[in-house]
Amino acid sequence: MKISAGLPTGVSAALFDSARRRRELEARLSALLEGRGFAEVLLPILDYFEPYRPLLTGRRLEQLYRFVDRDGQLLVLRGDFTPMLARLLAPHLDELELPLRLYYRGDVVRHQPLRPGRMREYSQLGAELLGGAKAEADERMLTLFFDLLLEARGEAPATSDGEEHTLRVVLGVAGALDDALLAAAGEREASDLALRIASRDRTAARRAGLADVVERGYPTELSVLGGAGEAVSDLLGLRDRLSSEYRDAGVEIEVDLAEFAAATLDSRIGVGAGQRGYYDGLMFAAYAPGTALALGVGGRYDKVFRSLSGDCSAVGFSVGLDLLLELGDAEARS
Amino acid sequence: MITFGLPKGRNLGPARASLAAAGLNLDGLDSSRLRQRFPDQNVLGTPVEVLLLKDWDLPLYVEHGIVDCAIVGSDVLEETQPDVFRPLQLKDGRSRLSLIAETPELPKRSGQLRAATRYPAWAARLLAARNLHVEVIHLTSSIELGPLLDLTDVAVDIVQTGGTLRAHDLHEVEVLAEVAPTFVVNRASFHAHRRRLSGLLGALEETETGGD
Repeated sequence: MKISAGLPTGVSAALFDSARRRRELEARLSALLEGRGFAEVLLPILDYFEPYRPLLTGRRLEQLYRFVDRDGQLLVLRGDFTPMLARLLAPHLDELELPLRLYYRGDVVRHQPLRPGRMREYSQLGAELLGGAKAEADERMLTLFFDLLLEARGEAPATSDGEEHTLRVVLGVAGALDDALLAAAGEREASDLALRIASRDRTAARRAGLADVVERGYPTELSVLGGAGEAVSDLLGLRDRLSSEYRDAGVEIEVDLAEFAAATLDSRIGVGAGQRGYYDGLMFAAYAPGTALALGVGGRYDKVFRSLSGDCSAVGFSVGLDLLLELGDAEARS
Repeated sequence: MITFGLPKGRNLGPARASLAAAGLNLDGLDSSRLRQRFPDQNVLGTPVEVLLLKDWDLPLYVEHGIVDCAIVGSDVLEETQPDVFRPLQLKDGRSRLSLIAETPELPKRSGQLRAATRYPAWAARLLAARNLHVEVIHLTSSIELGPLLDLTDVAVDIVQTGGTLRAHDLHEVEVLAEVAPTFVVNRASFHAHRRRLSGLLGALEETETGGD
C-alpha cells in the first residue's frame, strides 16, 4: 500500500506490503552485491550546495532542492549518490586501496515534472567501481548491472511470442556524436540537433547526415565519429560478447548512440540542459516493455574525479527500486 | 504484436491514410469501437492492435506503454511535453498556431495584453520568445470568442483554412508555429520493436516527404 494524499507533490509513503516488498528487494540485491565484494556506504541526506556546481550541469543542478540553513549555509537535499560519493572520496584517493567496490541504497529527491512512474522522491540502489583497468571495469560493471536486473525481476512470466518480457539494454559512448553534430549544425544549433536526435527525429537526423544513427543506432561508417569511432567499435565488440552470454537469460543488448546524443553536448557548448552531464565514456540504460522510464542507468565518469583534482577511473550505475517493483507488478498482471 | 493509439474524430482520417500509404492498411476499422485487432499481413509483419483515444490522452497512454506508438498532434505534444520519442511528422493534416485579433495589427494596450488559448503553457512560451508578456486565459473551446466577447485582447489558436476567422471578422496577426500530426513512440517499445518500427517509419518518411 502506498499513500501520497496529504503529502507534498511527488512523494509517497510505503506501508505494509509495499514496505516489505521493497525491503525484500533491497536485501536480495544487496546480498548479490556483497557476494561480489562490494561494500555498503551510507551517505548523508544533506550536503552543501557549492561542491556540486562544477560536478552537475544544466537540469540536474536546477533539480536540486536547496535551502539556506539557520547558519546561513546553502544546503541541498541528496539528489544523486554518485557525485556525493566522488566528492567525499576524491581528497582521500592516496589513502585508499584501489580498486574500490562500493554500493549504496536510499532515497534521492529531485524537483522535476511528474511523469508516469517518476516521483520527486524515489529509491535507488547503485554500485561504483573505482580504479582498475577501464575496459575490464566497464565489462565487469555491465555484467553486474545485468545480473542485478535479472535478480530483481526474478523468473519472467511465460509469454506467447517470447519477447514480451525481454530486458533491453542500450549501450553508448558519451560524446560520441558531438563532433558530427557540431559539424552538421554549428555550435549554436548543435544542442538543439542533439535533442532532436535523442528524440529520434528522423527528418533532422537525415538532414544532418546522421540518418543511420536514429535508424540503427550508430553510423555504418564509424570514421564519421573521428576518435570516438574506435570507442564505438570496441563497444560493438562488447555488445557481441555479452549478447552471446546473456541472450538465453532474456537480455537484448544494442548499441544506440542516439540514446545519449544530448548527454554531453550541452555542457560542452554551455547551453541547453544535459541530463547525464557527468558521464564521459561508456553509458548504458535498461528498459523493459511497458515501463515508462529506464529501469537503471550508468556509465563511466572519470571526469568527475578530474574536476575534483583527483585521478581515478570510475564506472557505476543505479537502478530504480520503485520502478523494479512496478515492473514486477506489471508482469504479474500480464 | 504492436499496439497503436490513433486519434478519435477528424484527425483519424489523415492518420489512417498516412499509415495505409506506408503499407499499414487498417481496412475495416470501426471508429465506434475502442479496441480492434488486425492480422500480421502488413509492413510490420506482426499483428496490430488499434486503440481509438482522444488526442489529449494519447501522449499519456504512450508514456505509460499502454500503446507502443501513436499519431498525435504536435500542438498536444508541445502543451503536455511528454517524455516520448518523436521520430516523424506527417504531411497530411497540418495546420498552424496563430495569434488572432479583431484588428490586423496587435492591439495596443497600456497594461498587459490578455490572450485566450487552449494551450496555456505552449502559448506562454511562444509569446515570451517574442517579448510579448501576456496574461494567458485558458479556454477549452470556441477560443475565438475570447476577443469577440472582450474576455481577452487576442486569441492563440489553431488555424486550418481560416474560415472561422473570416466568418467572425477576425485577423491572423502572426503565425506562431506549425502544427503537424506526429508519430510518437514509447521509449521501451522503440527498443523492443526497433526493426519493425524502422521499416514502417522508413515507408512513412518516404510517402510523407518523398525522400526530401
